Amino acid sequence: MHDEANQQILLLLIILFPLGGAVVNGLLGRYMPKSLVTLVGVGSVAVSFGLAVTAFVELYGLAGPDVEHPALIYQFYEWFSIKLPRGQVVAINVRFLMDSLSGVMTLVVTGVGGLIHLYSIGYMGEDEGYPRFMSFLNLFMASMLILVLGSSLPVMFVGWEGVGLCSYLLIGFWYENRVYAAAGRKAFVVNRVGDFGVLIGMFILVGVAGSFEFTDINAAATGGQFRADFPFGILGVMPSLATVACVFLFLGCTGKSAQIPLYVWLPDAMAGPTPVSALIHAATMVTAGVYLCCRLSPLFITSDVAMAIIAVTGTTTALLAASIAVVQREMKKILAYSTVSQLGFMFAAVGVGFFAAGFFHVFTHAFFKACLFLGAGSVMHAVHAHGDADIFKLGGLKKILPITRWTFLASCLAIAGFPLTSGFFSKDEILLGAAAQIYRPDDALQHAVGWFTLIGLTLAAVMTAFYMFRLYFLTFTGDYRSADQLGDHPYDAHPHESPPSMTIPLIVLGLGALFAGFLGLPHLVPITGTHLPNWWMHWMESSVAGQPAPEEMHVVNLASGLAFGAMAVGISAAWLLYRNKSRDALAERMPKRLFQLAFDKWRVDELYGATIVNPIKQVATVAGRADMTFVDAIMTKLPSLNVREAGRIFSRLQNGVVQMYGAVMIVGVVAVLGFFWAPRSHIEATFEGKNVGLTTPPGLGYEYRWDANSDGEFETAWADAPETSFEYEKRDVRDVAVFIMNARSGVEKRIDVGKDWVRLPVEAVAPAATLRPDDVGFEVRVDGKDLVFRRPDPPTLLAGSKELRLPMGKDGRLGPARVFSRPVVEATVEVRNAFGNSRRATKEITLPFWLEDAPPHAALMSHGSEVVR
Amino acid sequence: MTSHSLSWLLAVPAISALVVLLLPRSWEGSIRRFSIGAMLVELLLSLRLVFADYSEAGYLFVEQMSWVESFGISYKVGVDGLSLWLVILTTLLSPIALYASWGSITTRIKEYAFSFLLLELGMLGAFVALDLFLFYVFWELMLVPMYLIIGVWGGKDRVYAAVKFFIYTMVGSLLMLVAILYVVTSYKELAGHYSFDLQELSTLVLPAMPQYLLFSAFALAFAIKVPMFPFHTWLPDAHVQAPTGGSVILAAVLLKLGIYGFIRFAMPLFPVASQVIGPVLAGLGVFGIIYGAYAAWVQRDLKKLVAYSSVSHMGFILLGLFAMNRTGISGAMLQMINHGISTGALFLLVGAIYDRRHSRLLDDFGGLAKVMPWYALFFVIITMSSIGLPGTNGFVGEFMILAGAFISRSSIGFGSAWFVMTLLAATGVIFAAVYMLHAVLRIFWGKVVHSENESLTDLNRREVLSLLPLLAMVFWIGLYPKFFLDKMNPAVDSFVSDFTVRYYEGRRTSEPHLIDIDELKLKLEAARGLAMAQPMDEEGAR
Repeated sequence: MHDEANQQILLLLIILFPLGGAVVNGLLGRYMPKSLVTLVGVGSVAVSFGLAVTAFVELYGLAGPDVEHPALIYQFYEWFSIKLPRGQVVAINVRFLMDSLSGVMTLVVTGVGGLIHLYSIGYMGEDEGYPRFMSFLNLFMASMLILVLGSSLPVMFVGWEGVGLCSYLLIGFWYENRVYAAAGRKAFVVNRVGDFGVLIGMFILVGVAGSFEFTDINAAATGGQFRADFPFGILGVMPSLATVACVFLFLGCTGKSAQIPLYVWLPDAMAGPTPVSALIHAATMVTAGVYLCCRLSPLFITSDVAMAIIAVTGTTTALLAASIAVVQREMKKILAYSTVSQLGFMFAAVGVGFFAAGFFHVFTHAFFKACLFLGAGSVMHAVHAHGDADIFKLGGLKKILPITRWTFLASCLAIAGFPLTSGFFSKDEILLGAAAQIYRPDDALQHAVGWFTLIGLTLAAVMTAFYMFRLYFLTFTGDYRSADQLGDHPYDAHPHESPPSMTIPLIVLGLGALFAGFLGLPHLVPITGTHLPNWWMHWMESSVAGQPAPEEMHVVNLASGLAFGAMAVGISAAWLLYRNKSRDALAERMPKRLFQLAFDKWRVDELYGATIVNPIKQVATVAGRADMTFVDAIMTKLPSLNVREAGRIFSRLQNGVVQMYGAVMIVGVVAVLGFFWAPRSHIEATFEGKNVGLTTPPGLGYEYRWDANSDGEFETAWADAPETSFEYEKRDVRDVAVFIMNARSGVEKRIDVGKDWVRLPVEAVAPAATLRPDDVGFEVRVDGKDLVFRRPDPPTLLAGSKELRLPMGKDGRLGPARVFSRPVVEATVEVRNAFGNSRRATKEITLPFWLEDAPPHAALMSHGSEVVR
Repeated sequence: MTSHSLSWLLAVPAISALVVLLLPRSWEGSIRRFSIGAMLVELLLSLRLVFADYSEAGYLFVEQMSWVESFGISYKVGVDGLSLWLVILTTLLSPIALYASWGSITTRIKEYAFSFLLLELGMLGAFVALDLFLFYVFWELMLVPMYLIIGVWGGKDRVYAAVKFFIYTMVGSLLMLVAILYVVTSYKELAGHYSFDLQELSTLVLPAMPQYLLFSAFALAFAIKVPMFPFHTWLPDAHVQAPTGGSVILAAVLLKLGIYGFIRFAMPLFPVASQVIGPVLAGLGVFGIIYGAYAAWVQRDLKKLVAYSSVSHMGFILLGLFAMNRTGISGAMLQMINHGISTGALFLLVGAIYDRRHSRLLDDFGGLAKVMPWYALFFVIITMSSIGLPGTNGFVGEFMILAGAFISRSSIGFGSAWFVMTLLAATGVIFAAVYMLHAVLRIFWGKVVHSENESLTDLNRREVLSLLPLLAMVFWIGLYPKFFLDKMNPAVDSFVSDFTVRYYEGRRTSEPHLIDIDELKLKLEAARGLAMAQPMDEEGAR
């Protein structure tokens, strides 16, 4: 665990600065001058970035060949704890950890976040909600940093839901527009569906690994603890623990990272101010799902099924979103679907086991997508477009907005994968992962997934290059279409370049988009086959698991060829169709209905509305109405009606008619006589040494005779005494009863044994809390005069001897349970009453001792059911 | 150590109520100040309890005094980790509710103050009573002032709601009284003397069959109070009609008495029955979570929405309680406090807007964030607490409850039922966001469409003062729940281990008998040490 002396308080401060900024601006911001709000809001993030760099430098110094997992740790305090069934207390600590993975992510979050804060000064400065905006943005930074730096799942979850809250608040920032506010609510609710998955996944993980800490869970996964089957089948299949846990966690990832089926909130989220779209809905928050997968990569890689699901989901999402982006007409909407699509690329990389490559795409994507969004914001700022900008009303902005244009172009090249830009390197790695999957010979599932991923991602890459340059050409080339102020709602006729607070972030991010890729040079250069040092993969090795990079040249050439070809085809097509054009050439060439369907986002929102949202809403409506009518009627009105009616009936009965009273009396007398007519009988046994005392309840005027061994001959004559005693012999034994008893609590249970194996119900006698998982799982059967025990899965407890024999009559012990067998005899009594009616009762009696000199067992009581014959 | 702390705690509201009764009706200002002052003194007195040592399970501040000797009835009070925070919740919420009431209650001030003090006495008494008779007295005592508060100062249909509340609760508690008498007479047959003392009665182990019947009788009383589906239909009526202060106390404290009754009386006395019937109640709780959330979503009256959200939240608490492990029960105990705080605050907020607009219909609002920014901030924070956002109190409780239910393996063969129940309950987390954010959207976002809303004033000093302590608690419990959990965990641990012992004893037996629980525990420990030796070997077979 952690070393007290090595507390790195920087990790806490990185989080506390933006958090403090959020509190100050949130509570006092509206009373402070704007410059002070800016100082607090931007300054806190700048300080946080500085601290992050300091910490990262220190972390970099720690790394070396002999350090297995270099990490900085800050243990703040114990939050709360839970107690597992086996008695282990799992403390949930507020503890932060910076290792190679979270270190890079922290730099991205604070760095890109800082730039976007700077940009917001210019973009949001005039808004009356500026302090509120800064406060929310700072709160987001703090939450995101908690998400990244949290060393355990619950702490990460604080950030995970915290960013969701900030996303909700910021999407609905202009809350007076109810559509925007509704978009925020949609984001929150859809994310909560995902959070549900994370919660359940978390519980499975802690149940198996006994810890919430990422390092412990990963160690348990590496140790194979998650390979066991889930305790029970789900829909007829027996998945492994890892599969179930990963599927639930991945549900969370699809929510936060906008994948099928939960991606629908992200396009709507563009209702928020553009810096929000850049920071939260492109660069940082939406990549949290990929981050979580990388964080738990040793776990995910344990489950082939889960990995296949992730790869297929990612690829499908990449294709679907790209196909929508191709036909949209608004800048931010195109970028939003582009983000969904690029996130699909990242998950596809994760799904084929190239976690580090997926995360490399997170890194490069942060630069070019943030730059694209801010560029879009700069355009919208220039032309005074509100909410979003229709690219068919723009055009020719390259001369008016030169900085925006060049940075936008750089980012378009990067996202399209133009050689030597950042996106080129990261996308190449992802395709390489998919190609490597195809050449992995052993597994049919992986093979199929590999083909699907490779082809799907190549198509998506073609579309990516196409829609990005469609966006670029329509916005920046040709003529400015709002200049003449014709058409519907044209934009400002005289646009202007944005102030430096907005262009500086653009330039920095644009440079990043061009050059950040050099951190992850390909391991093998295509065609030449030269080996290059890949800093990124090497750096990530200590915290991220994954498949090894392929060494075969044909795999590398295939991947690079596809990536380059996709880029070239996409950009060329866009060049031909849209350069210096003002019409939507693609839409005119497409079948009208197909275009409309794609433009309507394949009507997925409507599908969800019809199949999920509306039915639930209808059920809710019915529940709400039924509660006050139906349920209340049964619970309240019916009883009150009953009382009233009963009162009426009883008052009628007291009517003074003597015949009525007589009739009631006769009914009563008959009932009493009937009760006494037949004698009642049942047997109880007491034990004193070998002597068994038999008693039956006495009754007035009863006589008894006994056949203690039920052999058909009565040992006693009719007598008044309701008891007798008897000493059983071996020939009286009718059956052998086998018992299992919990040695800790003394609870016992009879088990039915036979020639076939039956499972011992250990859990029925032992409190679940006192059982270790390996306490259950014995099977037993009868073999001649022996009981034979075995474990269905031999290796753990009975190593060496696969079966264990226990002669009948001997006591045995299985973990906390004792097993013993006892003879069963039958006793009969016949009872006669004064009316001359008689009745027989027979009862099985389990003797508390074995009949061959076995010692008596004190805890045993009589068992069996009473049989009246 | 007899410091009479608890007796003082009961005496202060009792004496103050009498004083209020003696004050002239026209001294309204004095009555208002005096009653608040008495409750603040009470709060300070109760804080003393927090600083005791709860690291060992067992009752502290115990006082015992014979009352009706021939029937073994005594005045016996004490607190432990289970009741401590409920006592504090009561003493904290009572002055807040009363203080908030003074903003809107203008008639019959004297009677209102008297009712509130009596109500506080009843609630505190029920939480600290360790004698079943005493408990029953306080349990019934609470009914009367609440009945008056709803019936006299309530809304349009106040009489219907008050009578419904009264009869509903009364039906349950009468059966409970019968069950109490049965237990006491069974005890007398074995021990030779009557006793209503919980600790003495805890030595009685009954066979399974009577346990089922008795537990059912107790459970009905408590389930109505909780309220558990389908016994919840009194709640929306009572909440909608009650004045703000009454709603706050009703939601924050009175409902908790149902759960408290389970954990203090029904479960320890009838462990076999609660182990068998418990999962059914947990299942009804889970149903209530979803049902309550659905019903809340479609309400048009904000107060009704919050009332149904209570049904949903209390379902969580039932689930955690009957998970029968430390995580679940501690979570349920903490969630009771959390629900008291967040729902109490929500009712205060609803009351604040009702005082201004005399409407609670969602349709009458919209865009209030513009007009009342501070109100919006408070409301959103409490909303986040209510839907269990991490960092607020709601998350810790829900997390522990769900974790407890998830790792619960019932010993009666439900198998995967707990997994399914946890899944369903966890969807409640989604629906909570749906209905609460629906309310927030309808009230705060959008443009101001009703001209009446344009001139609304933001929260006044009284409202802010009454909300601030609750807000502080939201974050205190959310960020450092350990302070609260550390004081309740030993009691919960001991509850679970006692329960286990008594459960197995109850299953073995076919005759009622008395046990020495400590001795049984020692035996269990010994058996455990024995059993750990070897899984199965020759020695074991000997």
